[in-house]
Amino acid sequence: MTVRGAEGTEAKVAVVGGGSFGWGLAHAAERAGREVLLWSRRPQREGTAKIRLVGSLAELARAELVFFAVPSPVMPALARELGAHLDGAHYLVHVSRGIVGDELQTLSQVLRTCTPCRRVGALAGPLVAQALTDGSPGGGVVASRFPEVHTTVREAIGGQRLRIYSTDDLIGAEFASTAVGLLAMAVGFAQGVGLGPATLAVMASRGMSEATRIGVALGGRSETFTGLSGYGDLLAAVAGDGRPELAVGRQLAAGTPLAEIGQQVGAYIEGLDSARRIAAYARRTGIRAPLLSMCAEVFAGRVSSAEVVAALMGRQVGAE
Amino acid sequence: MLAPPMHSLMFRLLSRPLRLPAFLGPTPSPEDPQIFRFHSERAPIVSDVVRRVVQHYAGQPERLLHVLNEAGNAEVRRLASQGDLEASDALGSWKRLVRRLGKMDEDERREALREKVRDFTEDIAGNFDPRVYGLATRIIPNLLTAVMSPKAMPQQLLSGFRPLDGLITAEGPIDKLRRLAKVGTLVLVPTHSSNLDSIALGYVLMRERLPPVVYGAGKNLFSNPLISFFMHNLGAYRVDRRITAPLYKEALKTYSCMMIERGYHSLFFPGGTRARSGLIERRLKLGLAGTGVEAFARNQARGVTRPVYFVPATLNYALVLEAETLIEDHLKGAGQSRYIIEDDESSRLDRVYAFLTKLTQLRSAMVMRFGEPMDPFCNPIDDEGRSIAPSGNPVDPASYVKCHGVATVDPARDAGYTRELGEAIAREYQRETVILWTQLVAHILYRQLVHATPELDLFGRQRVRGQVGMPRAQLEAEVGQARDLLLEFAAAGRVHVGPVLRSMPPDHIVAEALAAWSGYHTKPVATAVGADVMIEDPNLLLFYQNRLVPFAEDLATPETVAAARTIAALGGRA
Repeated sequence: MTVRGAEGTEAKVAVVGGGSFGWGLAHAAERAGREVLLWSRRPQREGTAKIRLVGSLAELARAELVFFAVPSPVMPALARELGAHLDGAHYLVHVSRGIVGDELQTLSQVLRTCTPCRRVGALAGPLVAQALTDGSPGGGVVASRFPEVHTTVREAIGGQRLRIYSTDDLIGAEFASTAVGLLAMAVGFAQGVGLGPATLAVMASRGMSEATRIGVALGGRSETFTGLSGYGDLLAAVAGDGRPELAVGRQLAAGTPLAEIGQQVGAYIEGLDSARRIAAYARRTGIRAPLLSMCAEVFAGRVSSAEVVAALMGRQVGAE
Repeated sequence: MLAPPMHSLMFRLLSRPLRLPAFLGPTPSPEDPQIFRFHSERAPIVSDVVRRVVQHYAGQPERLLHVLNEAGNAEVRRLASQGDLEASDALGSWKRLVRRLGKMDEDERREALREKVRDFTEDIAGNFDPRVYGLATRIIPNLLTAVMSPKAMPQQLLSGFRPLDGLITAEGPIDKLRRLAKVGTLVLVPTHSSNLDSIALGYVLMRERLPPVVYGAGKNLFSNPLISFFMHNLGAYRVDRRITAPLYKEALKTYSCMMIERGYHSLFFPGGTRARSGLIERRLKLGLAGTGVEAFARNQARGVTRPVYFVPATLNYALVLEAETLIEDHLKGAGQSRYIIEDDESSRLDRVYAFLTKLTQLRSAMVMRFGEPMDPFCNPIDDEGRSIAPSGNPVDPASYVKCHGVATVDPARDAGYTRELGEAIAREYQRETVILWTQLVAHILYRQLVHATPELDLFGRQRVRGQVGMPRAQLEAEVGQARDLLLEFAAAGRVHVGPVLRSMPPDHIVAEALAAWSGYHTKPVATAVGADVMIEDPNLLLFYQNRLVPFAEDLATPETVAAARTIAALGGRA
C-alpha cells in the first residue's frame, strides 16, 4: 500500500514516457506551476527547475495524477509495474491513440485491469506535442467517468492558452481518438496521391461515420464523434498541424516501405495496428466499415494507391 | 384536526404489518448479525432517514418547493386513479398540501416535507423479529416439503432429511462468505428470474448458516396478512412501485443506504425486474444496490472503516415458475415498460402448487451459485476480507473515496464507481452461470428450429408449432457433443455446468428434460413422437435456451453455424 507523501505532494504531476508527447505534457504542467516527475526508459534530455527525471517508476506514486505517454504495446507492462505502488487515490490519464485485443479494448480499460486505480481517463482532441511544449494556443478533451479527474487534469495542464474540455464518455473519446489517428494517416496518404479537397472531405466524413458506428457498438456516444475528440481533432489533421500520422500517410503514398517510415518519423504510430484490429472487428460483428477496412489493406501494403482510389470512388453511392 | 373515521382505523390495523410486542423478545448476543438488533434500532433509523432526506432538500428554498410540488402532484394523480380506501385518506392530505404550498413560508414547507418523508419512511421500514426468524427456520423447510412432497413428510420427521436439500444446490465460496459476514457488510446482488428467488435465497442463507439479509420487496407481496407478517418480521422492507415521486425514491435510497451503513447485510436484484427473456442480465443499472458504494463512502468519511462486500450470485432454475408469462411479455416487447406483472403464475396458488410438486420429481432443479465477493471498486477480496490489487498485494478500499488525502462523500464520483461495479457484476454473472439440463436440450432443439426455418424472422419462427422436429438419436448426439464442449468451457473458467448435466449420459439428459417440461407448463415444450422429438412451444424453448446465447457460436456443429449465429445475435458473446 502506498504511503502518501507529506502535505502538498499531491500538487506534483507524474509523467510516464520521455517521448515528445511526454515532454510536452511535462512542459504544460510546468507552465501551470506544477512540479513534474518524469520517468523514461531512456532519458535523452536534462530536467528543468520544475521537471525532475526519476530513476524508478515507484517514485511517481508521490504524485496524485499520473500521465501515461507511452506506445500502447508497452503500456500494460509499465502499468503493472507502476500499479504495484499505487492505490485508489491516484488518477491515471493516458494520451495514446491505440487500442488493444480483438475486442478493441481501450487503454483506459488496460489501466483499470493492470493497476488498482479506477479513476482513469484519456486526453484526446487536437493536442500535438510541439504545441504543448512551446505553449502555443490550443485545446483538448479530458475524458473520464470521474469529475475529479476532469478538474485535476484541467488544473495540472490547462490555462489561458490551453483549453481543456471534459466529457464522461470515456470509451467514445478514446475510440474517436483512435479513429482520427488512422484517418489522419489516410488524409496524409490522400494528399500524397494528389486527391483534391472534395475527395478528402468525402473520405474524412465517411470514415468518421464508420468510426461512429463502431464506437457506439463499443459503448460510446455518437455525439462524442462530432466533438473535439472526433471531428475537431480530424479538422486539425486536415489543416495540417504537423502530426506524425500525416507524414506516415504521405510516405505510404510515395511507396516507402513501412520499416523505413518508422525510422524516419521517429514516433510509434498506433494507426498501423489499430486499422488492422478495427477492420477485423467490423468484419466479425457485421458493422459496415469499408473505408476503415481499406485503410488496413493500404497500411499493410496489400493495395496500391491507384487501386485504393478506384476502389473507394467505385463504391455504390447510397443514402448518407 | 378531526379524528379519522372508524373504517380508516380498522383499515390501518389490518393493512399494516403486524409486529409482536418487543418486551417479550430475547436479547441479541454480540456475535449475532446486526439484523437481530433491528427491533430496537428501527425508530432511530427512521428518524435518521427523515433527517437526511430533509437536509438534502431543505438548504435551497427553490428545490424544496419544487420537490414538494412534484411529489404532491404525482401523488394526487396516482391516489385519485387508485381510488380505494387507503388512497382516499392520503389523497385528502396531499390535496391540502398542494393547495397551501404557495402560501407557506419556508419553515412550514420544511415541516411539511418532514411529515411526508416520515410517512414514506414509516411505510418503507421493515422489521426483524428473532422469534419469527427462529420459527421460520423450523417450519418453512417442513412446510415447503409438505407442499412439495406430502409422502416424504413422516420420513423426513424421522430422519431429518429434507427433499428440499436435494432440490436446491448451493455452490460457491460459502465458507468465505460466512467469515466475511463477520468482518464486513454483505450486499448480495443475484440475477432475477422468478418471484420465488427471494424465498429460495432466504432458505439457502438459512440452510448454509449465512446471516439473514434485508431486502426491498414489492408492496403487492404484502397484501396477504400471513405472508406480510413473515416478510415484514424477517427484514423485508416495502417498495411501492406505484409511487413515482422522486421524493419517495430519495427516501427509499436513503433507507437502503442507511441500512448498509449500519452494517445490515442486504439483498438487491440489480437487474431491477425479473429477466423477461431468460437471457443472463448484461446491462445493470444497479439502482438501490448502488447505495452500497455511497454507504461505504459515508462511513469512511466519519471514520467507520467497516468494509462492504458485493456478492454476485446466479439463480439457475431447470424450470421457471413464470416462464410462460415472462417470455410472452418479452416477445411483446413490453418487457421493461410493464414493470409489474399483476397476474402471472406466482399470483395463482394452483400454479405455484403445480410447480412445486413438479419440482420434487426433478433432481437439483435449482442451483444457486455465489460468485467471488468484490469491494465497491471491483477489487477481489481475500480470505481475510482485504481488497486485493492486480499486483496481488492488499489495497486500502478507503483510498478510492479520498480526494487530496481526505475521505469524502461525492455523489458524482460514486455514480462513476457504481457504473463500473454494474459492469463488473454483469461480467461475473456470465462466468457464474450454471447451465442446467433443460437449458441445453432447449438450445439444441431451438438451434434445429432455426436451422430448419432460415427464411423466418424471430416472430415468424415463434409461430412454428408442432411442425419441426429432429430424430431423438441426433438430439442426444448433439446434446452429448455440446455438453462435452461446455465441460471444456467450465474447465477454462468461462461458465459452470449443473450436476445432472455433468454426470448423466445424453439419453438420460434428454429424457429428463422432456419429462420436466411435460406436466407443469400448460403447453408441452417438446414431445417424443416415435423416433423423433417434435417442437411444440418455440416460446418456452426460446426462454430456456436463452441462457446459452453467449455460447451459441462456440457450441455449433459445422452444419449449424448459421443457425448459431442467428441465435448469438439475440444477445451478446460471453
